[in-house]
Amino acid sequence: MNALLDIRGLTIDIDRDTGPARVVDGIDLMVGEGESLGIVGESGCGKSLTMLSLVGLLPNRIRATGGVAEFAGQNLLAMSPEELRRLRGSQIGFIFQDPMTSLNPVMRVGAQIAEALVYQTGMTKKAAMERAAELLDLVGIPSPRDRLMAYPHELSGGMRQRVMIAIGLAGSPRLLIADEPTTALDVTIQAQIVDLVRDLKDRFGMSVVWITHDLALIAGLADRIAVLYAGTVVEDAPVDVIFERPTHPYTRGLLASLPMLTDEPMSRLPSIGGTPPEPGRRPAGCPFAPRCGLVTAVCHSAVPRLAAVEGSHPAHRVACFVTAASGGRT
Amino acid sequence: MTDTTFITPPEDRPTSLWRDAWRRLRRNRLALAGLAVLALLVFVAAFGPWLTPYDFLTQNLDARNLPPSLAHLFGTDDLGRDVLSRVIYGARTAFLVAVLVTAFAVLIGVVLGAVAGFYGGRFDKVLMWVTDMTMSVPQLLLVVVINASLKQPITLWMEAQYMETMNPLYRNSAIVDFVLVFGSMALISWPPYARLVRAQVLSIRNRPYVTAARALGLTNRIILTRYVLPNAAGPLIVAISAGLGTAMVLESAFSFLGIGVNPPTPSWGNMISDGLRVWTNYPHLLLAPAAALAVVTVAFNFLGDGLNDALNPKGQK
Repeated sequence: MNALLDIRGLTIDIDRDTGPARVVDGIDLMVGEGESLGIVGESGCGKSLTMLSLVGLLPNRIRATGGVAEFAGQNLLAMSPEELRRLRGSQIGFIFQDPMTSLNPVMRVGAQIAEALVYQTGMTKKAAMERAAELLDLVGIPSPRDRLMAYPHELSGGMRQRVMIAIGLAGSPRLLIADEPTTALDVTIQAQIVDLVRDLKDRFGMSVVWITHDLALIAGLADRIAVLYAGTVVEDAPVDVIFERPTHPYTRGLLASLPMLTDEPMSRLPSIGGTPPEPGRRPAGCPFAPRCGLVTAVCHSAVPRLAAVEGSHPAHRVACFVTAASGGRT
Repeated sequence: MTDTTFITPPEDRPTSLWRDAWRRLRRNRLALAGLAVLALLVFVAAFGPWLTPYDFLTQNLDARNLPPSLAHLFGTDDLGRDVLSRVIYGARTAFLVAVLVTAFAVLIGVVLGAVAGFYGGRFDKVLMWVTDMTMSVPQLLLVVVINASLKQPITLWMEAQYMETMNPLYRNSAIVDFVLVFGSMALISWPPYARLVRAQVLSIRNRPYVTAARALGLTNRIILTRYVLPNAAGPLIVAISAGLGTAMVLESAFSFLGIGVNPPTPSWGNMISDGLRVWTNYPHLLLAPAAALAVVTVAFNFLGDGLNDALNPKGQK
């Protein structure tokens, strides 16, 4: 598979008054053409920042300070703001977390979709409105022509997220980045949105990066899953392998904390003790060491790098001194 | 409300922010009363010449200082001019001042405030210094300074233009008055608008829908004009409504002090100023223009309050 997006050694720092604090520490990620990658990790582990940094949308005082991010062979981190602006929407589309607040409240949804088309493709307003109706139809909104004239507050949360997806698709991007698009929706709608995105991905052959903290949700969507912890990738493997053979202690902890039908009724779900390190106060060695049950002396002094897991799938890589060699069977 | 109406609003009655606001405004009696008074003001200002029973300049020295009567509803002044006609023409001046000064001040304020808030940086800092400085100088003093320093050059320039072109327009001293009054008032009125818009833009520019617009590759100009500013309009409209009233009062204050619109152009301010000297003998000369000014100012404030409630539904209950 050809790589559409290839991130190597990306670092992101927050400028604090006391000096820079590292939030993303050397992330390596690859997304193939037509592949869908799930990025999993808890809040603040750098999932969203990593994706925002690609297209120059980092908030003030947060900067990408190192590494390479090649998109279709071009280094995004070396591009000018204007080049990145042209890339946004037309090459890399975004779907955001909160459909309630991610639509302009004073603009009709048709106009919001059409706006993207007019400025990206130079379409006429009329043609753009036609296309907007098609897009609404595509994302499963009934009677799309009438909905074009609706204001966001007239639509339900699920409908708004569908509109967001329609906007994200408007420029026919090669890569669609979905940043926790279902967090604000209820469970039945979540499943519908996942199905919709999978369907659209297959239809257009897009690559999809789906950021979430819900492992179970993306099991049905992602081809591959990357687990992030404290700004580094700790495990990266095809989706089946992650579920069958979770290797990094953090991944195992995440999976163990998912409720299973086979669980004893009313029993407590296991949780991972402690909290992730704060930016700027990272431990010297493995960032997970303070919370890890399998910690050894070397974990506190050296940072583990992603390496192939012995005896597992060839694409299965983990950043752990203890479990990598044992093939995840420790 | 059932689920289906939530998802599918009735087609014949599309709701929008403005429509909702209008519906809420209509329920507010004080605001409606204010609106009615202002409609009357606009009507009187527009059709003044056809409404006045007498010419506002014609002096009738046989009928000086008459009390109100059927012939002169508001009486006559010390030159025998009909006070009602002068109040009506004063409405013209007041309306013109309010609209032009506010429009000019809002234009400056919105452009500077939006650019400063949206782009930030050094321009933002400089702008805030300037607004702080302008707001820290007493308004009356500033206007006196502007008037005093600009009146002579403008008058001389007009003279020179007249000598060159013989166009009688350049001999009209009312134009100098208006330019000076409008100009100096606008120059002291814009900072509050700039601050308001800047604060709005600062809070809106990081909202998710603005980030979403950036992620679409829209240019800054489009994001600012279509995504940020329209969402800042509510508080601005309220401020404009109050600002119109303030501009009228300000003009009256300046005319009262003799640095506003000069006689014989009637302005409520210079009428109040004239009436005050003789109010113990002829109270109607003070009452008529003062009442007109008070009613209109209160109307603007009622409307402003009503708009505030209508455009910020969350502020209620």
